[in-house]
Amino acid sequence: MSDQRMRITLKIWRQAGPQARGEFRTYRLDDVNPHMSFLEMLDVLNERLIAQGEDPVAFDHDCREGICGMCSLMINGQAHGPLKETTTCQLHMRHFRDGDTIVVEPWRARAFPIVKDLVVDRSAFDRIMAAGGYVSVNTGNAPEANTIPVPKDTAEKALDAAQCIGCGACVAACKNASAMLFVSAKVSHLKLMPQGHPERQRRVLRMVAQMDAEGFGGCTNTSECEAACPMGISVENIARLNREYLRAELCRES
Amino acid sequence: MSRLTSPTSSTVGQKILVACTGLLLCGFLVVHLAGNLLLFVGPEAYNAYAHKLHSYEPLVKVAEVVLFLLFASHIVLAVRLSIRNRRARGSAYAMSVSKRDDRILGVRLDYWMLPTGLVVLAFLLLHLVDFTWELRPDVTYAELEPYEKALALLTSWPTIVGYSVGTIILGAHLLHGAPSLLQTLGINHPRYNKCIKLLGGLFAVVIALGFFSLVLWANWFEHGGGHG
Amino acid sequence: MFTVASEPLDGHVPEGPLPEKWDSYRDHLQLVSPNNKRKFEIIVVGTGLAGASAAASLAELGFNVKSFCIQDSPRRAHSIAAQGGINAAKNYPNDGDSVWRLFYDTIKGGDFRAREANVYRLAQISPKIIDHCVAQGIPFAREYGGLLANRSFGGALVSRTFYARGQTGQQLLLGAYGALLRQADRGQVRIYPRHEMLDLIVIDGRARGIVVRNLVTGAFSVHLAHAVLICTGGYGNVFYLSTNAKGCNVTATWRCHRRGAYFANPCFTQIHPTCIPRSGDYQSKLTLMSESLRNDGRVWVPKKPHDPRPPNEIPDEERDYFLERRYPAYGNMVPRDVASRAVKERCDAGYGVGPTGMAVYLDFRDAIRRDGIEVIRSKYGNLFDMYQKITGDDPYQVPMMIYPAVHYTMGGLWVDYALQSNLPGLFVLGEANFSDHGANRLGASALMQGLADGYFIAPYTVGDYLARSKPEAVDASHPAAQEALKEAQERIRRIQGVNGKRSADSIHRELGMLLWDKCGMSRSAKGLQEALEGVRALREEFWRNVRVVGLGEQLNQNLEHAGRVADFLEFAELMVLDALHRNESCGGHFREEYQTPDGEALRDDENFCYVAAWEFTGVGEPPVLHKEPLKFEAVPLQTRSYK
Repeated sequence: MSDQRMRITLKIWRQAGPQARGEFRTYRLDDVNPHMSFLEMLDVLNERLIAQGEDPVAFDHDCREGICGMCSLMINGQAHGPLKETTTCQLHMRHFRDGDTIVVEPWRARAFPIVKDLVVDRSAFDRIMAAGGYVSVNTGNAPEANTIPVPKDTAEKALDAAQCIGCGACVAACKNASAMLFVSAKVSHLKLMPQGHPERQRRVLRMVAQMDAEGFGGCTNTSECEAACPMGISVENIARLNREYLRAELCRES
Repeated sequence: MSRLTSPTSSTVGQKILVACTGLLLCGFLVVHLAGNLLLFVGPEAYNAYAHKLHSYEPLVKVAEVVLFLLFASHIVLAVRLSIRNRRARGSAYAMSVSKRDDRILGVRLDYWMLPTGLVVLAFLLLHLVDFTWELRPDVTYAELEPYEKALALLTSWPTIVGYSVGTIILGAHLLHGAPSLLQTLGINHPRYNKCIKLLGGLFAVVIALGFFSLVLWANWFEHGGGHG
Repeated sequence: MFTVASEPLDGHVPEGPLPEKWDSYRDHLQLVSPNNKRKFEIIVVGTGLAGASAAASLAELGFNVKSFCIQDSPRRAHSIAAQGGINAAKNYPNDGDSVWRLFYDTIKGGDFRAREANVYRLAQISPKIIDHCVAQGIPFAREYGGLLANRSFGGALVSRTFYARGQTGQQLLLGAYGALLRQADRGQVRIYPRHEMLDLIVIDGRARGIVVRNLVTGAFSVHLAHAVLICTGGYGNVFYLSTNAKGCNVTATWRCHRRGAYFANPCFTQIHPTCIPRSGDYQSKLTLMSESLRNDGRVWVPKKPHDPRPPNEIPDEERDYFLERRYPAYGNMVPRDVASRAVKERCDAGYGVGPTGMAVYLDFRDAIRRDGIEVIRSKYGNLFDMYQKITGDDPYQVPMMIYPAVHYTMGGLWVDYALQSNLPGLFVLGEANFSDHGANRLGASALMQGLADGYFIAPYTVGDYLARSKPEAVDASHPAAQEALKEAQERIRRIQGVNGKRSADSIHRELGMLLWDKCGMSRSAKGLQEALEGVRALREEFWRNVRVVGLGEQLNQNLEHAGRVADFLEFAELMVLDALHRNESCGGHFREEYQTPDGEALRDDENFCYVAAWEFTGVGEPPVLHKEPLKFEAVPLQTRSYK
């Protein structure tokens, strides 16, 4: 392990509030430890800003172990930075070079309005989930857990989709700001599990309608979402959503 | 009717319709190319094919209407979606870099579907002006048999340029469009995806080269060879 | 330092034999008629496993629910980070598990400091949790035959843990979150994300609402209800560095405590031995590595202190495999607390490795030689990848470095059998309460408890409370509500007004170091006394010298954090005091003065077989200790030994 220090120039999007005009501001850090995570580097910057009496940079983060989906950040034009299948909180400064300039922007999408600086409002995802991202089962009346066998591979495939952390990188990376990977992951998870079958038609129609109502773009199959997804969720799920949607549209009675 | 139009109320439904019309247009391209390749066989075969095709005018009219509807809905829906997609971003990124590592030379053909589509539309209009509406002032249509007409047009400069660009851009459009429409129709399976991608690409190349070969053939082998 | 209440505290455990208590409780509870349910408002603070499941289940019954969380979405609560699994007494593997055995393991694992009746109920409910979660479509691991798979976990001789890869918490939480959103879609729940509870409103001795601050606009508001459920998790972040999410805090529970709710056993904190160590002063949190790694990894340090050589250049005879040396029978598989303390001892003695000297090696060299790299990869591949991502080192080539870290808190607000605090109408669920894990929690039991509380206990007990108490209508103009609102606003203004020189983060970091040092893995009366003074001094420092930048009327993470640090600084004193008063060692609480000759925890059942529930009397004022005696009728008290 080297204890070499790095000099990093940060160009960070600063925006005081939802309606305020934003701009890039440049900050220099001369003492970045390569073992810092990207967010820890921002912590160091914020400590300095507080000491100077300046407003620290607002950014979302929580678990800092890649599972809560709270952290975001467009780093040098890439959602969650340059590494594949890695959230911003798991990105470390050793992946940058001494003297680098790093551009940091918030997720940009009409459906994700900026709250402040690098913080965006992703509640659109919650509203999409509220439209059908569940099995309608009340507490108390579930049958014995082993009543319905689920093939091992099916359960694994369902989990591949279900492990979506809802961070919104798919939307951020898509040129259309489309939420199809997010929606399809949930539709796929519940389509694959037999417990989700009774509602599959209603689910896909309602979730897609809500996705559209939120102002996300449509899918043009560029697969940028898949490449940006920190959980490696496949666009195969989007094809599955398309099938589910087609089936639901063709079969529905009203 | 509401039943038929209801899918267009969602982006997914609209996209599926774009894919369906795209698929049918691909079918039309195949049939059209197959007919045109008769040029290689010779004047008799090509003229017989052309005359046969136009021997029953009502059928031609129906086909033209159907084709028009296919093109129109493909274009209208795609443009509508594109406008919506562009709006969905809001303000633009200062920097945007692909995270895909399978981009050939960093080319994002899939980002250029609307421009390539519009070029193809222009190509189509030129083609209609040339062959269907027979509006080209530099060509005297009246005395020409279909084979001669094709040859005359394919050796004129506006057509050479227009068709060369048009077919190449058509290829670019199909290179993303063909595999993409299968994905939109839900055809995606980890075991066959490589194959689907390959066949889609192959289809685009064959169609583009097929049409482009007619221009080449007309200028360098048939016409060009004759005069050169 | 504190006074002791004369009356013992009553846990309101129902009469009757242990296995029949819960049934008999439910048979005798009072019900709210379906038409009247819609007249009741219930506030649920926190949307983790306990909060989301409780809010959803109560809404399903027809109550009006308001759900609050500090994150941008209910799905981000820290339950999402739980890796290992969830226990249930299903006995699917046919290996002799039963409700009794799960109950017994949990009581023993908790070192006999949990309430028997609660733990038995937890074990009883556990199979139903799995049924419900499967019905929600949660993709648990399966066997090839399509039935549910189990794995084994620490502290048990049976395989009773259900799991979804290393993401069990995530999948369970998404299930509960879905259930919550379904009720939001029905209009039965209103969700308030990015809202922080800053005070509890108590009217006529009952919990009747909360004061919240909208974290986006900075606006304060009063929300009134007929019952308040606190499901806000643990206080591990009082140590600054822990495996908890950055946002985890004690504010909601501490505010309830300040309004009269007793805080129980705050010194019971669990420290996990295998975490990725600190790499520098900037470190913001610690990451847990699954305990299972110790099955194949060997823990060692160099025999020479401050040995500068890279690990692979140190020959075997110059390595000290200290766990194997000190505990020849269990070796690297000694229980968590023992392993953690042994690691700390070596590092304190100067044998630690890595840039900070606060780490030991966990070496897979011998396992790879024995089994081959592929076998190790198939067992631990994802963990190795995660380690490499964070540290940049390849554990297939060089040994991992590990160090213990705080990751769970057994203590919490005191609750009775109904999960109701001493303040009527205030219910506390999940990690936020103290009830089920005693002095030490077993692996895969936290998820079980959170969901048992939320899905299957609170819906009954809250209904019973509402049916019995019939609280009167109040509105926001009530003096108690207005006073709480004003206090919360005043406090934020005060924090902003200090305008000193130090960031809240730096004070928090100092507090964490102090507590980790003196009230961490091992504690002594002397150290705790020092900690007590240190905490007080730091609290003064905070109110004299903290600097908060930015406005209060917009998103201001700096201000949010400062408020939480202020509460940690008050809470820390109680935690230290609790540790100081408990003159025994049990579970996660290890007092150096009370150990057996071979360094094991020495419990004092004669004097400390009780729950220490503390009553607030003022900041820096001596609190009142209420003792709830623990009676062990089903499992007689015995020395906890894994030898």
